[in-house]
Amino acid sequence: MAPSRTLHVRCTTWEQVETFHTRKLRRGKLLSMKVPFAATLGSSVTLGLELPNEVVIAIDGTVRKSSPIEGDTKTWIEVELHGFTDEVVARIRAMAAGVEPVPAEPDAPPERPSKVALASEQLPVDERQLFHHLTTELRRMRQAAVHEVLGVERDADADQIRLGWMTLVRKLHPDLVARRKAPAITHLAEELTILVNRAYDRLRAALVAEGRANVVGSVVRPPPGWLVGFDDLASGAGSDPARRRAQKAVVTIPPVNEAAPSAVGAQGSGGQGGEAFETRARTMLQEGDPDTAQEVLAAALVVYPRSKPLRSLYYVASAVSALGKGEIMLATSQLEAALAHYEGCSEAARLLEHVRQHGQTDREALRRVFQ
Amino acid sequence: MSDRTPAVGIDLGTSNSVVAVIDKDGSPRILTTSEGSMTLPSLVWYSPDGPVVGEAARDGLDHSPELTIFGAKRLLGRRFDHPEIRRLSRLLPYELTEAPNGDTWIALASGKQVSPEEVCGRVLFELRRMAEAHFGGPVTRAVITIPAWYDAAQRQATKDAAQIAGISVMRLLSEPTAAALGHGAHRGVDRNYLVCDLGGGTFDVAAVDVEGGTFEVLATTGDQFLGGDDVDRLVVEHLLRDVKNTIGFDITSDTLAIERLRLAAQKAKHELSTDASTTLVVSDLLQLPSGKSVGYSKPIQRSELEQWAARFIQRIEAPINEALARAGRRKEAIQDTLLVGGMTRMPAVVREIQRVLGKEPKMVDNPEEVVAVGAALEVARLEGRIEGILLIDVAARGLLVSTGQSDCELVIAQSAVVPTREHRVFATRQEDQPRVEFDVWEGESPESEKNRHLGRFAVVDLPPAPAGDVLVLVELTLDTDGTVRLSASELVSGERMQLEQVFHSGLARADVARLARQLAEAT
Repeated sequence: MAPSRTLHVRCTTWEQVETFHTRKLRRGKLLSMKVPFAATLGSSVTLGLELPNEVVIAIDGTVRKSSPIEGDTKTWIEVELHGFTDEVVARIRAMAAGVEPVPAEPDAPPERPSKVALASEQLPVDERQLFHHLTTELRRMRQAAVHEVLGVERDADADQIRLGWMTLVRKLHPDLVARRKAPAITHLAEELTILVNRAYDRLRAALVAEGRANVVGSVVRPPPGWLVGFDDLASGAGSDPARRRAQKAVVTIPPVNEAAPSAVGAQGSGGQGGEAFETRARTMLQEGDPDTAQEVLAAALVVYPRSKPLRSLYYVASAVSALGKGEIMLATSQLEAALAHYEGCSEAARLLEHVRQHGQTDREALRRVFQ
Repeated sequence: MSDRTPAVGIDLGTSNSVVAVIDKDGSPRILTTSEGSMTLPSLVWYSPDGPVVGEAARDGLDHSPELTIFGAKRLLGRRFDHPEIRRLSRLLPYELTEAPNGDTWIALASGKQVSPEEVCGRVLFELRRMAEAHFGGPVTRAVITIPAWYDAAQRQATKDAAQIAGISVMRLLSEPTAAALGHGAHRGVDRNYLVCDLGGGTFDVAAVDVEGGTFEVLATTGDQFLGGDDVDRLVVEHLLRDVKNTIGFDITSDTLAIERLRLAAQKAKHELSTDASTTLVVSDLLQLPSGKSVGYSKPIQRSELEQWAARFIQRIEAPINEALARAGRRKEAIQDTLLVGGMTRMPAVVREIQRVLGKEPKMVDNPEEVVAVGAALEVARLEGRIEGILLIDVAARGLLVSTGQSDCELVIAQSAVVPTREHRVFATRQEDQPRVEFDVWEGESPESEKNRHLGRFAVVDLPPAPAGDVLVLVELTLDTDGTVRLSASELVSGERMQLEQVFHSGLARADVARLARQLAEAT
């Protein structure tokens, strides 16, 4: 349904880059590759070619041939890269030879500069730099907490939140880059604006929920799927349940640097990240709220898709939810699945044993399991 | 379809449509029809010699009202079982029918059925021809304005109508925003505006803040079935009774006579906007079996018209109050009220809005054209010819998702700033479950019957696994146009999954393409 796609090709060595444009491209511009979506003929795609120096070059192309692979969701496509001009090749060669200094793009600091500085900050004019800038911003914002996305303090008031949002939207809105007629840039700007808008909606909903504001701009009534607020995730277990219920409207993805292993219950997470989520979910399970725990874990799995402990805990939460409805068979299978994913999931083992012995469970038993 | 071709701004109205461009010197220009008129009646007459569009189709209202489609915009993207559609189908001279997927279509006397998209597509095609005559070359892109409260199905239907006309939509712009833009709000001081757009078929209210060139829509509401056509119908109802009393004929089943009466009532209504009294004249209302034609005339006072239209006037207040409430604004905080649309020429409408807001509203200079000018400015803005303007819009309705018989669950809240995206995670319930089906709704209620069904979708080709082992992440994106995009991926691997449309409202992609081909070939 998306009007254009971005394909990311990463070259870790300059040899790979050389191979890419000497051998992989036929007749200079045609690239065949396998992609995990159905591509329509004539649709535009953008190739984000990541070079060993972490510079990403946006190359526009058009799908010239598309043949689905039988028994697979993938498609072989042939893309004509009309954006792969001699100029681009020359630029890559120059970078490979180390002639062109690459602007060092350090990881964005956790605290953003003041908003006033942002307002005067212009987006890079050069397309390549702009693409790189936007990709870096996107990567950073995807991992940032909502207040960090807007560049405001945790306890920012309604006006600060609005100003932070407005400043970013006035800089990043896709309409503002539409004149460049580069689908990849517009796409990135849209993705960034989506993150900024979501952060704004969540923060103002949280303000309203906390009674600190009536409305900020238009009223957003929080849908039930929006999870817990951005109160201190690292200290996890200690938060007051009543306060959390009031804030149940806001989800946040904890910033990676804040998700330090916490003292309470962070067992065997194997360094894959998401410990703060685990702690929070455990507390919720202990308090008998498996559905919210499941939502938290689902959100966490988006960020840490490879974390086995999170995955297994998700099954445990789903099992607890099934137990609450008296579906013992389903619960058992969920707990077995949890152990299959991660043998070290002690809750699953304990709960499974309990269910097998007693055939059911109660609040007290659950509390013991998650202690 | 190159970007080099010029693009235009189109106000696709219920009764009249307007197309505008921004000239090289930056001034707006309304394009004219071949008859030299600035507005094109949104009329299509399916005459024996083929479809006729615009001014020429007015003859059709006289000869064969059952084949002359007006107000098709009201039918775009609507379900046939909607109560207002039921009501309209009793009142309209042409016949409405239900399409297999529950949409409202139009049944022509010849037994042929046409979709409202196709009818609107013909109007848009005519507007495109006007633009091509102006530029002397192909025109394939446009910004099209729509009522702010349009739901996703209506937005998609508008895009489909444009595609049928061979126009690719650069942006769907909400009419109140277009009006504020066309009024030049960005050039003045920062203000809080309330835009009231009362046209032929619809009433739109939007609270718009303008601050340093940024237009922020705080809330939009409206009445989807409130417009000048309703006043005409109320007047006709009274006239029918009067005809029976004065000349003794009951013409309530004579569609031709009713249509002539309606046209005369419309004319009288326009005159009463400036004059205190007028005389309604229909020279040949009906023909006696002898062949002698009977005429009808009636003097009407403005106060009489306002009395008849009282039921109509009453409905203005609720959407205004709702817009204020959603924007979190008290009426005192509104600094300017802009009146847009032909119906705001009626003095009683202005008085009512003044009563509700306690402040005199501001009539824009050209209420019929300002929306199209706004659309043309939007074209120039998107092409980078105008700097320093940004439009920020909100979701007119919430988006909900349900699986099986479950309650609808809100995913994107009403008034969320667009573009935005939310996700839901679905787990399989059975071993080796091959697909997960879910429904997408638009509205606010957990009860599905109170929401608008946008479609049923299935994530297919799931890998075989134990129950609950496959987690599907479905992302719903509401884009800047307010249309919905869906994507699905497996949560753990992140691999994209195939999404299938099991049921959807509106036309199928293939039908849209076919109609576009037919229209292009026929001309």
